[in-house]
Amino acid sequence: MKVTLAMKPAAKSFISIEAESIVPKNFLDGTDLSVWRGNRELRLDEVFSVLVEGDADRSEDVEVVLSGETFRLKRVGEYMDGGRITILGNIGMHCGNFMSGGIIEVRGNADGWLGREMAGGAIVCRGDAADYCAAGYRGGRKGMTGGTVEVFGSTGDFLAESIAGGTVTVHGNSGDMAGAEMRGGTLVVHGDCRRPGANMKEGSCYVYGTVQGMLPTFRKIGTVQHGGRTLIRFAGDLANRGKGNLFVKDYEYLD
Amino acid sequence: MIVKDAVCPFCGCLCDDIEVEVEDDRVVAVTNACELGTTKFMGEKRLKNPILRYGDEWKDITYDTAIRYAADMLLSAERPLLYGWSGTHGEAQCVGVHMAELVRGVIDNTSSVCHGPSILAIQEVGHPGCTLGVVKNRADLVIYWGSNPIDAHPRHLSRYTRYAEGFFLENAFRDRKVIVVDVRKTETANIADEFVRIKPGGDYAVLSALRAIVQGKTDTIPRTVAGVTREQLVRVANLCKSAKFGAVYFGLGLTMTPGKYKNIRNAIELVSELSRHTKFTISAMRGHYNVYGSNEVNTWMTGYPFGIDFSRGIAFYNPGETTAVDILARKECDAALIVGSDPAAHFPRKCLEHLADIPVVQLDPYPNATTAFCNVQIPVAVTGIDAEGTAYRMDGVPIRTRRVLSTDYLSDREVLSRMYALMQEAQER
Repeated sequence: MKVTLAMKPAAKSFISIEAESIVPKNFLDGTDLSVWRGNRELRLDEVFSVLVEGDADRSEDVEVVLSGETFRLKRVGEYMDGGRITILGNIGMHCGNFMSGGIIEVRGNADGWLGREMAGGAIVCRGDAADYCAAGYRGGRKGMTGGTVEVFGSTGDFLAESIAGGTVTVHGNSGDMAGAEMRGGTLVVHGDCRRPGANMKEGSCYVYGTVQGMLPTFRKIGTVQHGGRTLIRFAGDLANRGKGNLFVKDYEYLD
Repeated sequence: MIVKDAVCPFCGCLCDDIEVEVEDDRVVAVTNACELGTTKFMGEKRLKNPILRYGDEWKDITYDTAIRYAADMLLSAERPLLYGWSGTHGEAQCVGVHMAELVRGVIDNTSSVCHGPSILAIQEVGHPGCTLGVVKNRADLVIYWGSNPIDAHPRHLSRYTRYAEGFFLENAFRDRKVIVVDVRKTETANIADEFVRIKPGGDYAVLSALRAIVQGKTDTIPRTVAGVTREQLVRVANLCKSAKFGAVYFGLGLTMTPGKYKNIRNAIELVSELSRHTKFTISAMRGHYNVYGSNEVNTWMTGYPFGIDFSRGIAFYNPGETTAVDILARKECDAALIVGSDPAAHFPRKCLEHLADIPVVQLDPYPNATTAFCNVQIPVAVTGIDAEGTAYRMDGVPIRTRRVLSTDYLSDREVLSRMYALMQEAQER
């Protein structure tokens, strides 16, 4: 089954639309769903032109395609456990929150908290992702616990904060404090980033570019070969338990 | 008439030993207060009555009309923002939270642009803090990190630290050491026993290094960390470890620099580490006299301290998304009620552009920068001067502010309660 949701042009407002009902599973029972703009509840067809082709018995066979000015849509794919969501443009905050299965593809850019506290499944973002990509929630101890997030552009600050499992790959650069409070899982940044692995406990963080503002509390262990690259290996964060692994191509301290 | 033991409604110190001399319902002299507090008590040029923007002019309107305007504006909005709250008393803040829930709006206070990151850090690792009295009587080491009390909290030093007597200190002035950590040599740095000058953006690295040194892992620390030599770091760590009772006070130099709440988390974890060796506490140098109170009121009423979004009928909290600056910059609200703060003087230009596009009502005694963005401004009594109410000191101690003179102005609580009553009526219809 393929569900195409084309967003109708918004009359006036920039107020975001919370659309946690847009998950493949919900379309098995039809399209009588609602979304919220601020404090107003709206029917799905008030916001989107809805087109359903074919039918399906299980969420794995449902594909949802979103088009139009979707950058104001929040919480798409929240608690998704199977199927596929394809977003042709940009997507708003909290896309793929708590997801445990299925695939989300964002062809454009993703706003903050892409794949927050994700437990399984896969997210692919062809553009850039903003702050807190694959991160946890405020005050939470564990962020992402499983699944994969791949961003082909760059990301903002606090990438994969508190990550405890799963794999995050960024092909561009990342901002400040990638992998802060890391306690498991794998984080790979192909470009440059600032202060990765701050206060990390466990897990592995790879930076194939240059680390700026390298933290003084990582102990240099030596060099390793990794996928045809020579990387410098550090153990840290010594301010914390110091059992994490940080591999960098190059680094500079703020000395 | 002289009013003794008045409470100063300026900064988070909430000094409660002020003497105010009143003649003909005007404050004519203030004793004991700092320059900031004195200026606030002596403040004049208040708005006389509510005003409504009418084309290019202001029109005088009645309180009833102004309150009705605000209630209608909030009721018809899809996502109203109720912002400010640090410059008013707790009783008014309570009404504000009820209102936000009723109209399903977003309520945020000024901590989202000051010590919000401190609260985020406390939510991650807790708050080993204490009251100011404990520090005054016991602390033999005080660290001011990214804060400059001589300019911002002038009596903090004389009432609680550098120049204060201490019950358990024989000669407090001699026995109490003060360390100042900052990016520039401030006035406070001049009176410190040890000044640590950090390169801008280097606080996190220095805190991490200190944590490692306190744990005895000095050998891995580079020769300099963000402009601070390893020798000085070791000296500071030793001063901390050998203190009987240490207290860290941090300001916006730590909360609003790169890393933000991670800086505070690192500072708290340093304090936890030091508490394995001696007694150490940490507290925030809160700015507005009742910003702590707005966090308290919000927390006990909604479960969250600031940035609370009621649009779905339940409280949702996510600083960076549900906080005033983010909402305004992303044009995600369609009306704003401003109470007891001046966002136009502090927010980025992008936020103000949206504030100019939407209806805005402000409750404030004085014309300020936000007045230029208002459709309606309602003058109110000043808490601590002609209105009384509860405020929370920076260490979380509630203090009832007193009224030192009487005027005809309504208090924030009175105006907001009338607004709320109108909303309830409309809701029932």
